[in-house]
Amino acid sequence: MKNSSPFIHDARSTSHIMRLVIFALLPGALAEIYFLGWGVLINIVLCSVYALSAEAFVLKLRDRPVKPTLSDNSALLTGILIALAIPPLLPWWMSLVGVWFAIIFAKQLYGGLGFNPFNPAMVGYVLLLISFPIEMTAWLPAAELAQQQPTLLQTIQLNFLGATSNGLSLHDFRLLADGYTMATPLDESKTAFSLGLMTTEITQDPRFSPNLSSWLGLNISFLIGGLYLLFNRIIHWQIPVSLLASLFLCASIFHTFDNELFLPGWIHLFTGATMVGAFFIATDPVSAATTPKGRLIYGASIGFFIVIIRLFGGYPDAVAFSVLLLNIATPTIDHYSKPKVYGTDDGGSKNA
Amino acid sequence: MLKKNDTINFVDFISHAKFDIPGGIHPRQYKSMSNQRAITSLAPAKEFFLAENAKPGNHGKRLVEIGDRVLAGQKIFESFIDQIENNTHSPYDGEVTEITHRKLGHASGLSMPGICISRISQNHTASLPPVKNWQQADPTDLIKRIHEAGIVGLGGAAFPTHVKLNSSEKKIETLIINAMECEPFITCDDVLIRERASEILQGSLITAQIVGASQIMIGIEDNKPEATNALAEQISKHLQQTRENNISSPKIQIIVAETKYPSGGEKQLIQLLTGQQVPQNKYPAALGILVQNIATLFAIYDAVCNGQTLTHRLVTLTGNLVEKPGNYWIAFGTPLSHIISKLGIPTNKISKIILGGPLMGTAIDKTSKECFSELNIPTQKSTNCIIFNSDKSDIMVSSPNDVHDACIRCGECEVVCPASLVPQQLYWFAKSEQWEKLEQNNLRDCIECGACSYVCPSQIPLVSYYRFAKSEIKHLKTRKKKSELAKQRFDNRESRLARIKTEREKKRKKTAEARMLTAANKNKDPDGKKSAIQAALQRVKDKKEEQS
Repeated sequence: MKNSSPFIHDARSTSHIMRLVIFALLPGALAEIYFLGWGVLINIVLCSVYALSAEAFVLKLRDRPVKPTLSDNSALLTGILIALAIPPLLPWWMSLVGVWFAIIFAKQLYGGLGFNPFNPAMVGYVLLLISFPIEMTAWLPAAELAQQQPTLLQTIQLNFLGATSNGLSLHDFRLLADGYTMATPLDESKTAFSLGLMTTEITQDPRFSPNLSSWLGLNISFLIGGLYLLFNRIIHWQIPVSLLASLFLCASIFHTFDNELFLPGWIHLFTGATMVGAFFIATDPVSAATTPKGRLIYGASIGFFIVIIRLFGGYPDAVAFSVLLLNIATPTIDHYSKPKVYGTDDGGSKNA
Repeated sequence: MLKKNDTINFVDFISHAKFDIPGGIHPRQYKSMSNQRAITSLAPAKEFFLAENAKPGNHGKRLVEIGDRVLAGQKIFESFIDQIENNTHSPYDGEVTEITHRKLGHASGLSMPGICISRISQNHTASLPPVKNWQQADPTDLIKRIHEAGIVGLGGAAFPTHVKLNSSEKKIETLIINAMECEPFITCDDVLIRERASEILQGSLITAQIVGASQIMIGIEDNKPEATNALAEQISKHLQQTRENNISSPKIQIIVAETKYPSGGEKQLIQLLTGQQVPQNKYPAALGILVQNIATLFAIYDAVCNGQTLTHRLVTLTGNLVEKPGNYWIAFGTPLSHIISKLGIPTNKISKIILGGPLMGTAIDKTSKECFSELNIPTQKSTNCIIFNSDKSDIMVSSPNDVHDACIRCGECEVVCPASLVPQQLYWFAKSEQWEKLEQNNLRDCIECGACSYVCPSQIPLVSYYRFAKSEIKHLKTRKKKSELAKQRFDNRESRLARIKTEREKKRKKTAEARMLTAANKNKDPDGKKSAIQAALQRVKDKKEEQS
């Protein structure tokens, strides 16, 4: 094999790509720390350690080389993605469960990098969401609304002990200045709609718009990182573009249909996990569709399902569910979207 | 149409490619290393090894024995014009010293039978009479000459040219001239055009006449402006002449294409210039197109107009160990050791020698077991470039890693595949040995250009997997064919045996019946006395009647 051509290569390696993706997550991560506090940073550190240790553990069991595999940075990326997806003050052992499940069950038991049919980070996230629904939706309010913000030390205490040294619990930090508990804008509006409120009432609530703007900032930060990936040709344009377009289009259709019952498309575009999902989650090459046409179908379907689940499902956000749903469909999409081979009228599979 | 007194502008026949090919890569060129020097010739070696090019099932035969004296250009291995093989000639006056097997620098380390010739003089004059006035010559005679001169496609595949010219599936309308030379490092075509544009144009016109093509399209990459100019000057001269003398000439166009690998692949070039695709499992002739490399056209000119048999070619010698990288006339069969010593390359510094380009060539590694005997490897008709590189090379020519990372299905390979295949899927199928799936996914349409491996972030030697799978599929197919044949033979034998048995049975029955019949007759007249008496009586009776 050594003497087989070609003998030159493009310089970019798999570990380099993973590193660049992690680098592109920086703006989003920094924004999340800014808007949601120290908990995010602690989660990033914890989840990275969990991910690497889980990967090393399974590799040892499988009798595979540990160091070269760890240095492909894929486990690290999974850990960081989970850290950015979970609420900032999630107890340490819950993130441990999520990350370990992602790495051990969703990734390594299938054979490691490249063999996992599902996006490991999303498997871990969904496991947590289903197992600990209350903790997993306990987000902190935006800094300007909060009654008090935990300091770094308080965050560590909350994370590991469940309470600060002066007896404050997570609940105390979730209270707004007026004693109201805050959820994410998507969660908030979902509850409001179920109580019979209208779009105007929800958006005119003085607490809604500062909260929304922090999520807007978050999404724009992830968008910046995503564009960096796009322009460095680390991800292809098809998935993010088709996902965002379809999400915006579907949400807008509902909004036009009844603008008092459904939030406008742009809010869907810039809240929740939309941007991180479009650029960092759905583009995971291993579990996504790979043909150009397939990517368009894949991305558009995810966008569609995000809207449907957000509007009619039981959960406020739906990126993880939609991505996992389409992961199942990937082999089929790929099979039917093969490009037309040179010299044939079709994919060529019929005349074989 | 041009009028008689119009001046001919280059823009009249130079244009940019209107079509594009999917995929492709833009590796670093390294061409300026070797295309800045004029063509030189390397002092000939003392000994040459000329492969007999006798594949199993071929019919060619060796014409010389050990100890025979041969003349320059003398045919030493003869092939038949209707076979996919070609004649071989001695490059110089010499003596046949050995007839043996030697390695040819094939990736598999394959040995081939061949003839060793020890050179006696520097003479390599033409051995065939030049064809005067080829414009009036019969195409079949010209094809015979091309076969006689041992001409093969010099672009790299070394497919016998006479076979390509003879295939008359459909009338050839267009002769496409491949001057793309898209692989990095290689510049022999570039430099050959710069210096021999007139001869190449002649060769093109000869070829166009043979096949009756009414148009000639020259495809060239935009990284060869000097060569393009040289060709354009010759074409404009030619057009001027034909117009002045009122001779008909095929329509000639130069089409400049973006520098992109592998736009010089035959199928890719056709797509680039005409927008057409060669149908699957068909040859370009199905579209009325014939593609020839410019070096081949030069050889055709040389054989027809000068009577020169094909014994030398232009070879790019380059790499960071070559002090004066450039293009050299080198006789086929020249051992690498000779080239190394003539170029003054210290053997201990070589870490890798690549025969051909870095994307499709074959390598000889320092780590190979028989390093020194391997330097015995001779150049062949297909050897267009030799790259000599040291370990400490600023030029990135690396081997694929022994251990590669996992495929993450990033799809970069699909983006660059010129055949629009899904390389990563083919890789999964090849790895799991799903031969039928590979067939269904058109593995046979892979041209092994290596673009997918080039961009693979996990550095998977994809092409190696495909080559392995292809050979495995071929092997399985022949085995299937063989077993089918064997079954048929067995069935035939069974039915033949059964037939013989029934026939024998019939015969036996017949003879038995006949025997029974005679036996029955015998029973009526046990010892035949009665009939004998009767016969005697009859005779007496007859005599009496006569006498009376």
